[in-house]
Amino acid sequence: MSTFYEEVQELRARYPDERSAVMPALQLAQERHGGWLPEPALREVADALDLTPAYCLSIASFYDMLHVEPIGRHVVEVCTNVSCAVSGAQGVVEAFEHELGIHVGETTEDGGVTLRTVECLGGCGWATVVAVDNLHRLHVRTGDVRAIVKELSG
Amino acid sequence: MSTPSDLITVTIDDREVEVAKGTGLVETAAAAGIEIPVFCYEPRLGPPVGACRMCLVEVEGLPKLQAGCTLAAQEGMVVRTSATSERAAAGQKGTLEFILVNHPLDCPVCDKGGECPLQDLTFRYGPGSTRMTFPKMTFDKPIPVSPLIALDRERCILCYRCTRFSGDVAEDNQLIARNRGAYTEIATFAEDPYRAPFSGNVIELCPVGALTSTQYRFEARPWEIQDVPTTCGLCPVGCSTRVTTREGAVKRVQSRNHPDVDGGWLCDKGRFTFPHLRAQDRVREPLVRGERGLEPVSWDVALDRAEALLRGAGKSVVTALSGSETTEIAYGLAVLMRRGLGAHSAVVDESTSAALDAFRAPLSTIGSAEVVVVVGDDDVVDRAPAVDLWIRHARRQGAEVVTIGSRGTVQAAPGGAAAALQELVAPDSALGTRLRGSDRAVLIWSGTGGGGGARLAEAAHALGFGGKPGCAAFHLPARPNARGVAEAWAAAADEDEAEPDGIGLLVVSGDEAASDPGVRALAEKADAVIAVTMFHSLAAGWADLVLPGTAALEREGSAMNVEGRVQRLRRAVTPPVPDELAWLSKLAERFGAVLSPHPAVVFEELSGRIYGGLALEQLGEHAALPARASYAAPEPPSAGDGSTAGQSAGDHFVGTLRLLRYTPLFSGHQVERVPELQFQRPEREIALSAADADRRGIATGDAVTVRSNGTSVELRARVDRKLVEGVARVADEHAAELHLDVEVVRA
Amino acid sequence: MSAAAREVVFAGTDGGALTELSDYESVGGLQGLRRAREMTPDAIVAELNASNLRGRGGAFFPTGRKWSFIPKPDQNPRPHYLVVNADESEPGTFKDREIMLRVPFRFLEGCLIAARAIESKHVFVYIRGEYEREWEILVSALEQLREAKQLDDVTVVLHRGAGAYICGEETALLESLEGYRGQPRTKPPFPAIAGLYASPTAVNNVESVTTVPPIIEMGGAEYAKLGLESSTGTRVFSLSGNVERPGNYELPHGFPLRDLIYEVGGGIANGRTLKAVIPGGSSTPILTAGEAEKVTLDFDSLSQAGTAIGSAAVIVLDDRCCMVQLGVRVSQFYEHESCGKCTPCRVGTRWLTQILKKIEAGDGTHADLDLLLDVGERINGTCLCPLGDSDAIAVASYVAKFREEFLQHVEEAGCPFRGASSLDGIVAPTDVHDAHVGPPELTRPLEVVA
Repeated sequence: MSTFYEEVQELRARYPDERSAVMPALQLAQERHGGWLPEPALREVADALDLTPAYCLSIASFYDMLHVEPIGRHVVEVCTNVSCAVSGAQGVVEAFEHELGIHVGETTEDGGVTLRTVECLGGCGWATVVAVDNLHRLHVRTGDVRAIVKELSG
Repeated sequence: MSTPSDLITVTIDDREVEVAKGTGLVETAAAAGIEIPVFCYEPRLGPPVGACRMCLVEVEGLPKLQAGCTLAAQEGMVVRTSATSERAAAGQKGTLEFILVNHPLDCPVCDKGGECPLQDLTFRYGPGSTRMTFPKMTFDKPIPVSPLIALDRERCILCYRCTRFSGDVAEDNQLIARNRGAYTEIATFAEDPYRAPFSGNVIELCPVGALTSTQYRFEARPWEIQDVPTTCGLCPVGCSTRVTTREGAVKRVQSRNHPDVDGGWLCDKGRFTFPHLRAQDRVREPLVRGERGLEPVSWDVALDRAEALLRGAGKSVVTALSGSETTEIAYGLAVLMRRGLGAHSAVVDESTSAALDAFRAPLSTIGSAEVVVVVGDDDVVDRAPAVDLWIRHARRQGAEVVTIGSRGTVQAAPGGAAAALQELVAPDSALGTRLRGSDRAVLIWSGTGGGGGARLAEAAHALGFGGKPGCAAFHLPARPNARGVAEAWAAAADEDEAEPDGIGLLVVSGDEAASDPGVRALAEKADAVIAVTMFHSLAAGWADLVLPGTAALEREGSAMNVEGRVQRLRRAVTPPVPDELAWLSKLAERFGAVLSPHPAVVFEELSGRIYGGLALEQLGEHAALPARASYAAPEPPSAGDGSTAGQSAGDHFVGTLRLLRYTPLFSGHQVERVPELQFQRPEREIALSAADADRRGIATGDAVTVRSNGTSVELRARVDRKLVEGVARVADEHAAELHLDVEVVRA
Repeated sequence: MSAAAREVVFAGTDGGALTELSDYESVGGLQGLRRAREMTPDAIVAELNASNLRGRGGAFFPTGRKWSFIPKPDQNPRPHYLVVNADESEPGTFKDREIMLRVPFRFLEGCLIAARAIESKHVFVYIRGEYEREWEILVSALEQLREAKQLDDVTVVLHRGAGAYICGEETALLESLEGYRGQPRTKPPFPAIAGLYASPTAVNNVESVTTVPPIIEMGGAEYAKLGLESSTGTRVFSLSGNVERPGNYELPHGFPLRDLIYEVGGGIANGRTLKAVIPGGSSTPILTAGEAEKVTLDFDSLSQAGTAIGSAAVIVLDDRCCMVQLGVRVSQFYEHESCGKCTPCRVGTRWLTQILKKIEAGDGTHADLDLLLDVGERINGTCLCPLGDSDAIAVASYVAKFREEFLQHVEEAGCPFRGASSLDGIVAPTDVHDAHVGPPELTRPLEVVA
């Protein structure tokens, strides 16, 4: 089995300049660290790419899909941009809040699910779009929420 | 130099101005006497970024307002600034209104107040009031970015000067922007301090009071201070500095841009070390060894005692010089010892060589080089920090930078610098051929031993650097005025130095000499010791007589830097003790030698001998670099300083590593006395190559025992992927009594 | 008119997806590439010029001309790069995603032809991080092309974004791809001269690139016969919002907006009435129902109506939509996505949101309405890139077209929809963000060693 360091060297080789590998390396590190980037993860990436942990943090914190704060094992993200919003996204958000017993931006007590609202997911014609662990559910209605939550806790 | 054909005409606010094609619009306007206000623009940070939008101007033919800082002057360009364009004025007002939306109005208690670009530009260009009625963004403050720097995020206007410096100039990438958009903030990683050799520059770069010096916080208002232009005396670069004093005390040290030497940057050692002037253990009066150790005596008693010791030893006096003296003090010592006593024996660092004068060039030559070769085992930043920045600058401009050493891009066994140069000048060396063919090539020697400057001069000569003004060779000495001190000593008398049979008296001049193990060893052999030191702990236990020393910031005089440039040191504050020349002249008189107590007079005398008759006035605030000398071949290598490159990793006992000591930038008696600088000192660690670490089952962070016959040290291991195999690299101060071959095992 | 108009981008799919190379070749796939390999780079550019294909990302810049700006290898010896912008993020837009899902080979074929046109051996596809399935499909398609030895000596790297709208701006995309924070660069230099790694670079949108193979197959002149003379060809319109049948529809330029909504899209959903249309993604100025009746979907018609075709994302809003709430939500988007580099955008977008929220809450005055427009004017035209401008322009258009509704909020000291707006109570990411300004570690006390 190859180590994280070695895998990052492979990523590095894809690009003319090694700095370009920082995003894929952070994505890889996040996968390995339960969906977010704790300090050791950022230090590992920095070491593998001859960058500094601070530099990796500046990159990671710029992008919405890289998380520098702890996050639940599952992430539910409801698009609330205009097209989804006018098609009932807020009802979907509230249904998730009700089913999960948390507010938007929070994680369930058992660390199971984080609920967020997000900007346009690029599924405007299939509103409401909900990303569950980055896989997009289309045409989600309030009535679908209970089943999704059950799926996640099952 | 611009030829007339390069010149173009630009019209700014109806004023025509001629500038060289491609001149930035901000500079073009300045040439016409017109201000284009800026916050983020700072050419020394690299290409303009156009972030703050303070510089908005109207350019004829372009529909939108333009960020003036991002434009270059073009023939026939017609520009209107806020002075003649309502749109530009409205744009700039808008920018300032936006900037002030979250900026607190705490100018009365802000260190920047009175010398603040935001304050000044708001006064000149800003709206008189704000229409912002929502709460300003608030943050806890101030945040310690490090023990040296405090960050006030509320004052920050996110111009990104500091992060550009960290990322694009010093390339330390420690100070960063975190998050995005309105929530962006300046930060370091986790709880890590901004730990890097040049961190303090961000304080000067900050156009508001967001990044302030913890040393200067609440210490003075701009109208209460006096600034003294001088030269830093802590390393052989001699960066131009401006020393802020208030009520006779140094309050801060800032950079004073010498474009050829330092480019306007200053390292943290130069910037933050001044509190050592007020160290608790500063020697404030002469001390004589009595029954209960060192006891204070009057100056009259001290000078009588010194005279007696000197007279008693006569020609058997040995003088150990630090290399941090001004040239005048070194000359004064030489006058006393050599002319007064006929004692010609001295310990002087002579690793640099006058033969290098044939390849003399400003340090900025490195920045515009296309190929830079560094030989030696020491990191350049540890020896001459500003040189490190010039090398980085060159690399960013596309230069090929080759380092040959134990951590080099070309790995070599320790001590291989001279051998590396020999290979370089060999006809079959590809790199040598490239150097020979280049008009912009630089050689740098950054390490100990091996003949240093002389070998470097020979290589530069062999590579044909002499006739090319863009080619240069720099030897980085370990001591700030190594060259000036050596020359001053040599200039005072014609007699050859000769080893005395025994050491009747050892005169230790300065703290570097006093903390040098070699000098300490000499003292063991000496009948008596006179030590000139600033600090008690350096004097205790071995000196019979201690005379108080002074610091560079307290001295008038001159020093010769790594380029061979003679620079002037000005007395920023009066020392608490008489300076060295004052008592040296008195002692010299007792031995019939003539020495003026005035540095300017001493300068005049020695200038004819070593500075080519340079007048003090010529040094000015920015000293010029003397012309190149013709090449005079240096002494060939002696047996003692020959190459050690043959000692490759395989040459020592199986399982042992060669200990490579280095002296970190943040070390030495001055740094040790500044509490807020302690975090910059080296970790108690040992660096190992990945292969050597693997072989021993050692990972970064592991505690290890380092042993060499009879002694051992506990250190933390760090895997250094750049380090050559077979070597263990440890900072001097943590290497203790370890010998050359060490065993490293997990503790 | 029906949706059964001639398809170019989606040709041969018959409503489905062509994710196996054999299926794609069976409908004539890769013919364009084969033909292009027999053509000189200049001939390919000439064909593109003849087609008058203009960028489908939103800027509508002629693709052939963009390629002709790339220096020849003997003029600039640095490597040349083709970078494909697959970071589709403009609210309302979801066309590139469907293109990558259904015709991945046509897209990659287009990449290879484009690389040939600019004499590049290196293609980078910067694909939105949220597009997981699309990425997998491209990985598979690329592997199939590699096995079929169709890549020649061109390397194609699929690079995943990580969630930042600004990376759709071409210079920000290049910064991000180089491993920096995705913040726009000042121009000049333009990417054609100094783009990726300071080398000549063409940055093209997915749909533009996917249109290239059919253009080479049918010839540029033939393609130019589709659509209008000034806006040639077809366009994949993303229809969303309050319509019966939202979705992507490939239609010729010049198609009437009214027909898109009522014929193709099946009319306003739930029996409501049309209030307004955002015709080209959320950055474009809004059209009233009356204006929407008259325009056709092409560059000229929409420009004349004071808006833009943008990314061809048509967002339909019915009579339940409060225009102040729309302003808040749209402004929140730009505030959230501002990269933070330039002052007017970073500060201004947040300020606009605050003023709009104040008005929506019924606390606004006439002066606040003036301030809203004035702050917008101070943003518009002073920013480093178009993001801040977009917020200011969009919001200004809502005020201009629905001024009465804004005044009503001020004069009635509250929202006239009384909680019944289709956007009521919506929680945006910035709403959550605002609640957490200042991370916890900021409470560290200042420690200075005495």
